[in-house]
Amino acid sequence: MLQLGKKVIVLDGAMGTQLEEAGLSGSPEDFNITAPEKIRAIHSSYSAADIILTNTFGLNKIKYRGAFSIEEVALKAIENARAAGKSVFFNIGPTGAMLKPLGTLSFDEAYAAFAELAEITGDIVDGYFVETFSDLYEAKACVLALKEHTKKPVYVTMTFDSTGRTLTGSTPEIVANTLEGLGVDALGVNCSLGPKEMENVVKRLLAATDLPVIVEPNRGLPELRNGKTVYGLGIDEFEYYIGKFVGMGVSVVGGCCGTTPAFINAISKYSGRDVAPRSVIKRTVINSATRLVEIEGVKICGERLNPTGKKKLRDALLNEDYDYIIDEAVRQQEAGADILDVNVGVPKIDEPRVMAEVLRRVQEYSDLPLQIDSSDKDAIEAGARYYNGIPIINSVNGEESVMERIFPIAKKYGAVVLGLTMDEHGVPRTAEERFDIAKRIVGCAQSYGIPRHKIMIDTLVLTASAEQKLVKETLEALRLVKTLGVKTALGVSNVSFGLPNRGLLNKTFLAMAMACGLNMPIMNPLDGEMTGAVRAYAVLSGEDENSEKYIDIYKDFTPVASAAAASARGEDKSAATLYDCVKRGIKGRAAELCEEELRHSDPMALVNDVLIKALDEVGKDYDSGKLFLPQLVSSAEAAKAAFEVIGKRLPKEGSGNGLVILATVKGDVHDIGKNIVKVVLESHGYTVLDLGKDVPAENVVGAYLKHKPLAVGLSALMTTTVKSMEETIKALRAAGCMSNIFVGGAVLNAETAREIGADYYTKDALEFVKILQTLKKQVL
Amino acid sequence: MNSTDLEPLIYTYLGYKGVQPDGEIDRHISACLEELEKIQGFKYRYKILSDIPAFLQKEPYLSFLNGCSAIILCVCTLGAEVDRKIKYLGRADMQKSLIFDACASAYLERRADDFEKGLGENLTYRFCPGYGGSDISDIRYIFGLLKPEKIGVTLLDSNLMLPQKTMAGVIGVGKTAKKTCDNCISFSACIYRKEGTTCYNSAKR
Repeated sequence: MLQLGKKVIVLDGAMGTQLEEAGLSGSPEDFNITAPEKIRAIHSSYSAADIILTNTFGLNKIKYRGAFSIEEVALKAIENARAAGKSVFFNIGPTGAMLKPLGTLSFDEAYAAFAELAEITGDIVDGYFVETFSDLYEAKACVLALKEHTKKPVYVTMTFDSTGRTLTGSTPEIVANTLEGLGVDALGVNCSLGPKEMENVVKRLLAATDLPVIVEPNRGLPELRNGKTVYGLGIDEFEYYIGKFVGMGVSVVGGCCGTTPAFINAISKYSGRDVAPRSVIKRTVINSATRLVEIEGVKICGERLNPTGKKKLRDALLNEDYDYIIDEAVRQQEAGADILDVNVGVPKIDEPRVMAEVLRRVQEYSDLPLQIDSSDKDAIEAGARYYNGIPIINSVNGEESVMERIFPIAKKYGAVVLGLTMDEHGVPRTAEERFDIAKRIVGCAQSYGIPRHKIMIDTLVLTASAEQKLVKETLEALRLVKTLGVKTALGVSNVSFGLPNRGLLNKTFLAMAMACGLNMPIMNPLDGEMTGAVRAYAVLSGEDENSEKYIDIYKDFTPVASAAAASARGEDKSAATLYDCVKRGIKGRAAELCEEELRHSDPMALVNDVLIKALDEVGKDYDSGKLFLPQLVSSAEAAKAAFEVIGKRLPKEGSGNGLVILATVKGDVHDIGKNIVKVVLESHGYTVLDLGKDVPAENVVGAYLKHKPLAVGLSALMTTTVKSMEETIKALRAAGCMSNIFVGGAVLNAETAREIGADYYTKDALEFVKILQTLKKQVL
Repeated sequence: MNSTDLEPLIYTYLGYKGVQPDGEIDRHISACLEELEKIQGFKYRYKILSDIPAFLQKEPYLSFLNGCSAIILCVCTLGAEVDRKIKYLGRADMQKSLIFDACASAYLERRADDFEKGLGENLTYRFCPGYGGSDISDIRYIFGLLKPEKIGVTLLDSNLMLPQKTMAGVIGVGKTAKKTCDNCISFSACIYRKEGTTCYNSAKR
């Protein structure tokens, strides 16, 4: 009987190496059927191990190209593995295809491939060994498929490179937090490295999780000898490292590429030994695929992806204008957010679908961990399922029925849950009552198997204008809640509602709350004074050691009054006028200077006399080779920032120059040129709907029919994708597109453009604008 | 990584006609190259073949490989993180995205060149399917042999590769051949050629 986590378990060694030895080449899985006696002999040669893995590494419907059905091979493989008389774990390898957006496979397709295996084998194996995964998202699909189809133990190992990361950039801590959250039975590392090179990863895994850790190294690093890959590490050295790992607390050991029965015989002496005890500090940790955030000290949760009171975002969600949403996410990250709250709650929206889609899109651009904010159970579940990593769920409260709905989801996906100290009776007035609810939430979570470190408590901020006396109750409740050993959150800006100069109150309240133990203010990171207060607090609380981060951010800080003086002296980076700002491409101050000039100038005059004039100058210098692409782009960005400010002052109708749809065509993923066109168009006051890259013709047609734009711009880099551009144009024309179709890209020229039916070829972004302007004049 | 000798190439990618030193852009370039070093995303996969495989038994490959003692097939990439960074910057700071993109292209060329130096003395440049009128879909054979999915590279139906900063090619061993524009897929439309420059460092090899 296996005693996982108590007694050391030994796995078998390499299959591939033994197949080669036995003279078998071809689809390895097929040998289960075509050469069963040889496969059985290999399994039996590993009988010193406690667990035998089936010869099914490449057996899933996405990868397998052999001669038989998946079911035939799977069943026969299990039968063969039984020959060794040991526990049999079904071996699952990756699909070999990358998941979107890094590749073309969808999460659901990967899930289905693994679910098929679980359905076939669920009743007849002793467990599952998922190994050599290099993409955390694919591992998540696999674990979910297994957990939803069988009750058997699931062991998962991922492969790390010499930098200590998986192929898709996940660290051991991220892998451990995610897989532990998904409820695997054991996790670890295999392949790619020899035992010596793995040591650091093993140490980090052991420190990051209290789950049993698996180590399955290669027989050293591969060397190429006479064109063949050989592994040269000796048995003694291999055994030495395995012994060392066992001493460090590893529970399951085995061998990957290059190992043979002799290696497993040598390490089998560790089988049944007591697993060395270790202590793991449990932390409140969330992560995306490539970034881990520990809720400790103060971490900023950006609140701006929430449509409440934000018309623009509400419209963006209803129209599925993900562009706007991504920009809002990136802006918050740039401003210093550590986590982003995502709320898509708009009446009549398909919340589960939109939540999953927004999370997916935001994750494509921002690596910040996300907080799924909804009152809809299905939206929370969809979000948690498709999110790549471990999120925060916002929220539950003390109401039984709410906890009943949400805790099972949090448990299943390993999410951290934010609990609000209120219940069906509303928000209690006193700190003690709120503390009681917090205790209830923590207790109830534990009954669902959710440990304390996965719970955060929000003691709820009421507005000072209505409930002045209760502000201190919120703070007192924070102090009490901290005694439970959980982390805390507050939506701080509620405090100032209904009072003048809200910023001052928010900042002061934030400082008070941080001093009472607030860990995660949910706030607007674009408010520099608020993020500044968090950074200052990190210095004063000692969290920011040697004030390093603070100094790094503020080293060039000059107070506003002296900045004006500096710009008067003509010092760099502080353009005195909006015109200078655009001309010199100083994006940072464009919005601010624009606001200032709007006080005494008419918005349209500002556009015509300042922005357009500056952009024309920049354009001329670019054309004559005095300025180059980077400067052109930064000028465009400065002008765009100014246009955004002006746009708010102008009446809705006629505020812009019109809409242009841009897309990089199907099959093509190189979109930097299209992105430049976008910025330059926007800098000239055009609204751009960017459909992205690898865009199928039907999506371009759909967007055209919906918006009837001024122009459609298509880009393609390669000859092969010019074909796809031609098809897109044909589809647009067939749909009755009378708009002007512009094309551009490395292999295009005016002639090709004509041949494929485009109206205009433009060599660069400026030419696009020039043609649009001429067209406009013709219309007028 | 010594950034100064990569700079001419990066400036070319950025559309500068000849090298125009610019203090601020220089600083951005150094920062981007530093970041690329830090990301450590470079991965290379290759196979050395003593005979020319069937899919290369045709023009223009045969002329290119004529006189070679062996050939190397290779795929190399800067990985997913560099792509994501370019994407993120495209939203956060377009100018930096542009510079980072150009730096990544030059850096990939450099890392591949350096890696290949360890494979042999006399090597040709990397000849990619699509050059000189060859069929770009020949890249499928290279993928079949090298399994670059192991380094996270995906081949799309359009024969383009993901991540974006990825190269695949054929290298001849035992012969030096300098890169020229003559067999380039972009020959007629090339923006660099029109400016009288090249997209590669012509002094190389």
